[in-house]
Amino acid sequence: MLADFNLRIIFEYLPLFLIGLRSTFFISAVSIFLALICGTIACACRISSIKLLKYPAIAYIEVIRSTPLLVQIYFLYFGLPTLGIRVPEIQTGIIALMLNSGAYIAEIIRAGITSVDDGQIEAGVASGLNYFQRMRFIILPQALGATVPPLLGQSIVLVKDSALLSLISVMELTRVGQTMTSERFMPTEAFLTVAFFYMCIYFCLKALADWSQRKLIYREAY
Amino acid sequence: MRQKTFFSLVLALTAVLCFSAMTFAGTLTDIVKRGELRVAVQSGAAPYAFVDKHGEHAGSMIDFTKGMADAMGVKLVVLDFDWDGLIPALLSGKADILAADMTPTLKRALKITFTDPWIEVQPCIFTRPDTDFQTLEDVNKKGITVGVLLGSTGETMAKQFLPNAEIKSYKGGGRMVVQALIAGHVDAGVNDDLAVLTVLPDFPPNSVRLLDKRLGQGKDPLAFAVNHESVNLWQWINLYFKTIRADGTYDKNIAYWMEGTDWKKDH
Repeated sequence: MLADFNLRIIFEYLPLFLIGLRSTFFISAVSIFLALICGTIACACRISSIKLLKYPAIAYIEVIRSTPLLVQIYFLYFGLPTLGIRVPEIQTGIIALMLNSGAYIAEIIRAGITSVDDGQIEAGVASGLNYFQRMRFIILPQALGATVPPLLGQSIVLVKDSALLSLISVMELTRVGQTMTSERFMPTEAFLTVAFFYMCIYFCLKALADWSQRKLIYREAY
Repeated sequence: MRQKTFFSLVLALTAVLCFSAMTFAGTLTDIVKRGELRVAVQSGAAPYAFVDKHGEHAGSMIDFTKGMADAMGVKLVVLDFDWDGLIPALLSGKADILAADMTPTLKRALKITFTDPWIEVQPCIFTRPDTDFQTLEDVNKKGITVGVLLGSTGETMAKQFLPNAEIKSYKGGGRMVVQALIAGHVDAGVNDDLAVLTVLPDFPPNSVRLLDKRLGQGKDPLAFAVNHESVNLWQWINLYFKTIRADGTYDKNIAYWMEGTDWKKDH
């Protein structure tokens, strides 16, 4: 059974796999960065008391969270051109991943902020700290510690979700596997290799998150 | 802890390998014993095989395989796959017959056994009405993008005859390529003319223009396929086609599905 496994094909396709890996890595890195910004802004609007900011943010978060990512990608790729907006594949993918993850990140950050005990805020008020000082010295250091694990989870979900971009002809890891399958008809070899590369990205991300949690968050909080 | 993780990983990988290597030869005896003829199709391809407005599989190839199942005295089971998943479906033993509008190429025949071709179609280039492409050379230029179906002969032909153009491959049936063309993501597409013509009614009128220029020799045979091991099934299918060509069933099928559009009323 194992003898049927064709290692030679994997080596033959290795250059293509590396292109796919680079593409997945690039798309994921840019998307995670933009999603963090997008999510932070959305969260700031969501918890703001200004209705003009709050309600659009709620609408955005709920619309994104209630629809599948694939539908969002198809809407951006095939739907928007009929309205006269045409964005190339990779950019479409990055925008879709950014908007999708942004909504979840907004909720993660909001959960982190609301997890800080009311008593702490009251103590801050009693000590005479203003809103920004309370945010900077009391709420955010604790909230950040609570949000890092779920943010890491969301980043990993984003990396895996980027596989959906293969459906709009982006040459990323999954698409390389599909291409190899369609040319050589060896799905086992193709998708095991793809899975291996995704695992590599996952372990890199995990190491990064562990390091950041040790170095940055704990020092801030304690 | 670390060692445990490693071991479970190795275990999982071995399990995956063993499962994927287990192929079931879809021989005639197996099929009759099972009472099911499992057919892999790509159902985004009217009039070959598609899902009709009643939500049921219909099309020329569905009728043919239905006839086969009836002749065998078994039930027909239609399985849907994406274009690039069809051959793996056959190889992994999920299906007995691959009934897609597939061209027998030498490369594909390394993996699966094709029956005698049952029809010939013509690959064509299509574009939007607002472009001024007339010949093959107009499309074969730098900066022009051509949409194809991943793993299709259209993809091979586009790479062969349009080497200067940028090729983008899509999954999910010929409809996707037309969709991408109309959305402006590609300037032209390559596919079988019948496959293009039959999806056009789903789109706004006059949104696609077929170029007169054919690709290659202009002939693209289509055939069914079985596993290498299923020699008796392969011979049986060839015999089936000989039989239905003789008794007129074949001509009726082609006349209904390929030559007219009457089937659109029923399906």
